[in-house]
Amino acid sequence: MIEEETLVLNLKTKSKQAQAFEVLIDTYKERLYWQIRNIVLSHDDADDVLQNTFIKVYKNIDGFKGDSKLFSWMYRIATNEALNFIKQRVKMQGVSDTDYQDKLVSNLEADVYFEGDEIQLQLQKAIATLPEKQKLVFNMKYFQELKYEEISEILNTSVGGLKASYHLAVKKLEQYLKED
Amino acid sequence: MNKNKNNPFKTPEGYFDSFEDKLMDKLSKTESTIPKDSAFKVPDNYFESFNESLIGKLDNEPKVIPLFPIKKIITVAASIAAIAIIALNYNWSSSSELSFSNLANTDIEAYFENNDFELSPYEIAEVLPVTNTEYSDFLSSPIESDNLLDYLNENVSDFDEFNIEDNE
Repeated sequence: MIEEETLVLNLKTKSKQAQAFEVLIDTYKERLYWQIRNIVLSHDDADDVLQNTFIKVYKNIDGFKGDSKLFSWMYRIATNEALNFIKQRVKMQGVSDTDYQDKLVSNLEADVYFEGDEIQLQLQKAIATLPEKQKLVFNMKYFQELKYEEISEILNTSVGGLKASYHLAVKKLEQYLKED
Repeated sequence: MNKNKNNPFKTPEGYFDSFEDKLMDKLSKTESTIPKDSAFKVPDNYFESFNESLIGKLDNEPKVIPLFPIKKIITVAASIAAIAIIALNYNWSSSSELSFSNLANTDIEAYFENNDFELSPYEIAEVLPVTNTEYSDFLSSPIESDNLLDYLNENVSDFDEFNIEDNE
């Protein structure tokens, strides 16, 4: 895999930009996709947000100062894009955040790209009840298996705080699944 | 840090520093009833064809074609601006820096309306000055003192809680 610094440099150099951007997409598309998909749930929405994420990265690469890793910077953009997407939808439809989350999950039952059994559907319902931060941490740790250090850099939260959030999330989910 | 000098028991170095981490690690390993697979699927060949569709989208970003050549616009705009400045007897000595007072109230309201601030009422309360603040700053119509007394009579069971005398 190409070194991150070289990749960033190439992305900022006009003559090498196009090729470097392809490498960037190849390297990160799947990981960013799953980050987004876990937030917006439907494939079509995830596709829209993923494309917008890369367009934003492409347009703002000159502003990437290298203070954080390219990986965390892009994850942050993807997460913000997905959360903003949800907020816009909530505003547009004039419903409450909870109602919108409920609707997203109930749509899964008819979603051809969701092949979950009853327990997996219940899990998604349970995740929808978590506060935003716990939801993000749970998805990133449990499904994407990111390291706490990586999540910490993306969400700008201490590792201790993340562990506490994750633990709380797991407890709530288990409780929810047991009750149902 | 053993507060009691007579206590002969010691802990390994750094025990308390790493305790929280170890505890949280142990706690987070107890996820048993939660299925590992999220069951989300993607269409066939989605990732294979993603690059193409994205690059296509980037190439096809609409470009704005100017209706008039930019040089002409600059020339016209410059002459209009020059005439306007002379006509209005522009005050060159005034500061050109924008300040808070330049903002129209409607702009400020629109900004708060259209941007999400994740501030709780308590956080807002922390930055709002308490002194010289009157009810009338928040309310469009004043509260009648009779209504206020009625409300307190109906809703407050224990007036001692207010410690009114202590604070006066």
